[in-house]
Amino acid sequence: MEKKYPRVLFRKRLNHLSKDVEKIGNATLEAYKDSVKTFFNYDDEPAEKVLTASKKIDEMNYHLEQDAMRVIASEQPVARDLRFIETCIKVGSHLKRTGYLASNIVEVARQIKDEDIPAKPMNDIKQMSGIVENMIQMSLDAFLKQDMDIARELHHEDDKVDDLFDKALKDISESMFKEKDTISYLVYILFVARFLERIADRAETIGDRTIFMITCEKP
Amino acid sequence: MPYRIETRDLNVYFNEVHILNDINMKIPKNAVTSLIGPSGCGKSTFIRTLNRMNDLIEGFKKKGDVLLDGEDIYDPNVDVVELRKKIGMVFQKANPFPKSIFDNVAYGLRIHGIADKDKLEKKVEKSLKAAALWDEVKHKLDKSAMGLSGGQQQRLCIARTIAVSPEVILMDEPCSALDPISTTKIEDLIHKLKKDYTIIIVTHNMQQATRVSKYTSFFLNGEIVESGPTEKLFMEPEDKRTEDYITGRFG
Repeated sequence: MEKKYPRVLFRKRLNHLSKDVEKIGNATLEAYKDSVKTFFNYDDEPAEKVLTASKKIDEMNYHLEQDAMRVIASEQPVARDLRFIETCIKVGSHLKRTGYLASNIVEVARQIKDEDIPAKPMNDIKQMSGIVENMIQMSLDAFLKQDMDIARELHHEDDKVDDLFDKALKDISESMFKEKDTISYLVYILFVARFLERIADRAETIGDRTIFMITCEKP
Repeated sequence: MPYRIETRDLNVYFNEVHILNDINMKIPKNAVTSLIGPSGCGKSTFIRTLNRMNDLIEGFKKKGDVLLDGEDIYDPNVDVVELRKKIGMVFQKANPFPKSIFDNVAYGLRIHGIADKDKLEKKVEKSLKAAALWDEVKHKLDKSAMGLSGGQQQRLCIARTIAVSPEVILMDEPCSALDPISTTKIEDLIHKLKKDYTIIIVTHNMQQATRVSKYTSFFLNGEIVESGPTEKLFMEPEDKRTEDYITGRFG
């Protein structure tokens, strides 16, 4: 091992994939933040921005997959390099789905923009959305810094979101029973709670994929 | 797991140069084992030690044991010609004899005393079929082997090797001089042959190792760094040096 012949071009290609995932991640986080902002305070402009961003994330993810396949075909990676590329594809896919869910939140926001939503369920959504935003950031940090501690921490955060989802479900049901007229729009709030819970699952899975990438073990 | 070949504390020297250092290896029966490692790490010396090809090289000296089915192949009572019948070898460059295709395959059989024409013809056909070459050469068995393509010549050499019914086939980079189609044919052949033979293949092509072998050993500077199931070694190597080598961080 006295001589080192690093595969310079290969290293560049792997770095390039990592940068692409980072770009998709940042775009996804921004889209998510805008979707939540739109939900609590509806405005056409940020709503459109989220829908456009979701399409762009989809496109970026398509290119990421193409690049990743090119690297596999031309460099025939093994071991950790192969797991890294596979994880890039998976993380890209989870981010793409998160982008879709952000669009879903915006579409719901459009439906209920003129309704007067009871405070209790709104507070649940607010709390959930804050934790979920943090989870998206954490999942990106875990992958990009290859940090297993952050990846593991995502499990605890997901548990918090699951608990809040159960609470939101209870609060929404109570409000529905109290006033039947609210059912038509409280159903949408329930949808949003579900979207947030699913985004949290995606973030948690990105953490799990990171652990697999590093250890080759099922988290 | 039944083992066909085992080496115990095998050390090989050429004059004063220490080439292989304490190689302890067990080669499983009826499976393909790949040997990988950078040039000059001792892979070829290792397989040439397994059928006593190194005996022909001046200054060769070995310590430790090489056992075939538990018997020491370096025992003074071992007949080297008989040993090489049991442990055949295919080389990097196809080396057909300047004879007809038929005579190439029949060569080893004749050496081992088979003279009956019918018997020879049957054996030659069977070997050429096993080497996936029969359909391409059956109408020109009397033509010179030198007229075959590189890939065909290499399969002819494999046919010649298996004609004498060996137990073990050693392959020293058998595809390194072949185009992708011929390589695929040889790899398909290896898959087919592993049912009946124990195969040890030296290869510089990592993907080939992952495609054809069940077990892989990584050699470095005359030592075995890591051995194990091929999938594990390429997905999740235990030793940092193995990971560095297979991912191309050093050559």
